[in-house]
Amino acid sequence: MKVATHIDKFRRLDAALTRLRADVDYELWVWTAMNACVNLLNAALHKSGLTDETDSFHTQVEGLYARPDRVTGTLIDAMHAPGDVMHAGQPALGTPLPERIARASTALAFIEDLREPFVRGGDAPGPGATSEWERAYGNCVRELCAVLDLAAPQ
Amino acid sequence: MNEGLHRAKAERTERSLAALDVEHFEAIIEGCMLAGTHWFNILLHRARLAPENADAMHAEFLSLGARRKVFLQMPAALGALDEIEALRTSHVRGDMPNGPEAARRALACLALLRDEVAAGADA
Repeated sequence: MKVATHIDKFRRLDAALTRLRADVDYELWVWTAMNACVNLLNAALHKSGLTDETDSFHTQVEGLYARPDRVTGTLIDAMHAPGDVMHAGQPALGTPLPERIARASTALAFIEDLREPFVRGGDAPGPGATSEWERAYGNCVRELCAVLDLAAPQ
Repeated sequence: MNEGLHRAKAERTERSLAALDVEHFEAIIEGCMLAGTHWFNILLHRARLAPENADAMHAEFLSLGARRKVFLQMPAALGALDEIEALRTSHVRGDMPNGPEAARRALACLALLRDEVAAGADA
């Protein structure tokens, strides 16, 4: 997608996150934080020229995109050079990342790794555990907003 | 995962969804996928289409053979989860128009999945 679209999506997801409590709503908090960060990551990768700013959407299958026909409103499968990434390192870009994007990707990977125990699995966060989750989200957002010359939300 | 844990996670995610508005359509569609997948897994386990130690993660990742069996036994539930998954491509990872309406569709599909589980319990 386009940089501006990713930023719009980030803002909506970040606004949704303010309605959720990480320690109570932890499944949806993790998923929403991840999606917010992935949108900023894609915007930063496009802006840095590391991935293409294409009018196509990543599907659930790595490397498979859906290209919209804006007239008919339908989606057509497509494969092309990396446009949007699905997750940190998926697909691997085969090139070193700039420092800020690399640090953001590490923070995003931390959030993504919460999915297995807390979203798909039966673990519940212990007392105080989610402050580390919120710190990772804040770090990821700050690094990527700096790449994008955006004011990070408070 | 057993039925009790699936149910607890689906119900907690539905409570989380209640804190959002349809303008937060990306988060709503994702929450419907998360909660809906738990309801779907309860149906799979009850129908002995998947054991409790082998939850389905996404309906589209079921093998072709498994999907044919699921379609025969619970077509409405499969259709509802497929629709939620399709909305993820078009409106979460994509920017097709009418996001709030897509969120309403996802919520309707989630309600259908929840109702299918309740109907099975009542039967």
